[in-house]
Amino acid sequence: MEKGDDKQTTNIVRKALASRVPPLDILERGLVPGIQALGKLFKDGQVYLPEILISCRAMDRGVEELKPYLAGTDIHNKGTVVLGTVEGDLHDIGKKLVRLMLECNGFRVEDLGVDVSADSFVSAAHKHSANIVGMSTLLTITMPYMSKVINALEQAGLRHEVKIMIGGAPITREFADDVAAEGFAEDCVSAVDEATRLMKL
Amino acid sequence: MGISNRERFLAICRFERPGDLCLLTPYINDFWPETLELWVKQGAPEEILDSRFRRAYFQFDHIRILREIKLGIYSDRKLDICGAAYVYEIPPIVPPYQPRLISEDEHTITLINEGGQKVRVFKDSPQKMPMFLDHPVKDRASWEEYKKRLDPDTPERWPSDWDAYVQKMNSRDEPTMLNVGSFFGFLREWMGLESLLYMFYDDPNLIEEMMDQICYLETESIKRVVKDVRVDSAMFWEDMAFKTGPLISPDMFRKFMMPRYRQVTDMLRSSGVDVIFVDSDGNLNELIPLWIECGINSFWPLECAAANDAVALRKKFGRNIILGGNIDKRALLKGKNAIRQEIMSKVPLLLESGGYFPSVDHFVPPDVTWENYRYFINNLREVAGLSKLPE
Repeated sequence: MEKGDDKQTTNIVRKALASRVPPLDILERGLVPGIQALGKLFKDGQVYLPEILISCRAMDRGVEELKPYLAGTDIHNKGTVVLGTVEGDLHDIGKKLVRLMLECNGFRVEDLGVDVSADSFVSAAHKHSANIVGMSTLLTITMPYMSKVINALEQAGLRHEVKIMIGGAPITREFADDVAAEGFAEDCVSAVDEATRLMKL
Repeated sequence: MGISNRERFLAICRFERPGDLCLLTPYINDFWPETLELWVKQGAPEEILDSRFRRAYFQFDHIRILREIKLGIYSDRKLDICGAAYVYEIPPIVPPYQPRLISEDEHTITLINEGGQKVRVFKDSPQKMPMFLDHPVKDRASWEEYKKRLDPDTPERWPSDWDAYVQKMNSRDEPTMLNVGSFFGFLREWMGLESLLYMFYDDPNLIEEMMDQICYLETESIKRVVKDVRVDSAMFWEDMAFKTGPLISPDMFRKFMMPRYRQVTDMLRSSGVDVIFVDSDGNLNELIPLWIECGINSFWPLECAAANDAVALRKKFGRNIILGGNIDKRALLKGKNAIRQEIMSKVPLLLESGGYFPSVDHFVPPDVTWENYRYFINNLREVAGLSKLPE
C-alpha cells in the first residue's frame, strides 16, 4: 500500500481474509500502519503528494474489501472533524487532501465544502457532535472569517465542546494563536498529527 | 543622455547597478482589481484604475510582455458577470472555448470558461480564484481533441500584421518579456490538480506526450519570435508548490520536466535570452536548484508565508540567480511598523547585492489599504535614496 499499488493491496487483503486473519486486525495492524508510515515518509521528504494520493486510493480499495466483514464496526473511531473552506473562498484541493488523510487515519470527516458560512460550521458541529472544527483558507482577505466562525461557536455554546484546527497558505501558528485556535497544520500529513494531538487535550 | 528602461533592466539583471530601485510592472508589481477599486473609496485618485496612470504615479518601470503572441498565460476577453469582469488567463489554446453559462444561484455563477474548464465564481467578485468543477482533458481521447488547439501554425496565435508588430516591439526602449509556457501548470489547468497527480502514476506516457506537445509548441514558436523580435527575458509560469514544498518529487521533476525545460532554455540562451524567470507560488526551496539546472535563473514571487527567504537564497546562490518579490504582503496588512520592519530586514541587502526586483510576494490583495501601500512604496524609495511620491 505504501507504494500505492491498489491491485496488490486488494490481493493481500483478500489473501489475509482467506487465511482467517480478523478483518479488524487487517485494518488496524496492516492498512493503518501502512498509511502512517507513508505520513512519516512525507514529513521526511521521501514521498510527495502523488504518492500520498495513490496510497490513499490503495487503502480505500483495501477497506472496500473489508467492509462486508466490518459491518457494525466503527472504523472511523478516532474522532469527528467538521471541515470546510471559509466563506468568501472557493479553494478546495488543500482541504480535500486533509480530508483524505484524516479518513485514512481513522477520523470521521464531515466535509462541508467551500465558501462555508459560520452558521453552517455551527450547525454541522452541533449535528455531528464534532470533536474538531477544521477551517481552511488560501486568501489573506478571508483569514478574519476564521475568527467569526470561532465567535459563532462560542455564541452557540459549542466552543468548549470542540477544538479548532486551521490551515491554508497564509496561515501561521502565530495567527492560530491570535485567533485562539488550538490547532494549526501546514499540510495534510501534519493535519493528522495535529488532529490526533487535539483529541488528547 | 540617460539610460533607457531596457538598458537599466538588463544592467540590474547583470548585477551592474547595486542599490538601484527598479519596480517592474505589470505582473511583478501588480494588484487584484478589487484592491484598486477599494483604494478609490479610500481616497486614491480614480485614475489609479488605469495601468498607465498607475505606472506614472508609483514611478514603476514597464516591462513589455509580448502577450499578443499566444504562448503562455495571457488575458483575453473580459466576461461580464453581473456587471463585474471575469478574465480567464488562457493556457495557450487557440482557438479558445466559447464561454457559456451553466447555472447560477444567489451568490455564484457556474460557467464553462475560455479554457474549457467548468468553474464556479462569485457574482460580486468574479476575479477571485474560482472553484474548479471540471476540466477538459480527462484521458487520451479528450487529450487528442484538446491538442488540436496547441498548434504553433494556427494563424490566430500570431499578431495579424507581423511586420508591423516586430517594428513596434523593436522600437521601444522598454525591456520585453516572452511568456514561454509551463509544463506542470498547463497540465494542471487542463486536467485539474488531483487528476494530474494520479496521472503521473496511472498513465505516465500520456503526461510525457502532453509535455512533448508543449515543448514543440514553445520551441517552434520561440524560433519564429527571436528571429525577428528583440526579446530581453522569458517567463515560465508553473505554480507547482504549496506551503511546505513542491507538488511532485524532485525525481519526477527530473524525469518529466527537466529535459523539456532544457530544450526551451537552450533555444532561448542560444538566441541571447539569458534572463529566464519562473513564476511559482509556494515553497520553492527544493525546486530552485532544479530550475537552475534547467537553465532558469530568475524567481518570483518567493512567498514569505511559504518559507521562501530571498536573503538566504542570495547568500546561497550568489549572482547565479535574479530575485523578485519576497516582501511579505501580510506585513502590509499589519501597519506601518510592520512594513518598515519587513523592508529593512531584507531590501537594503538585496538592493545592494543587485539582481533584485522588489515587490510584494504576489499581487497586492484587497485588504492592503491605500495608505499602507503608499507608505510601503515611500519606504522602498527612502531605502534607495529617492524622494517620496508626490502627495
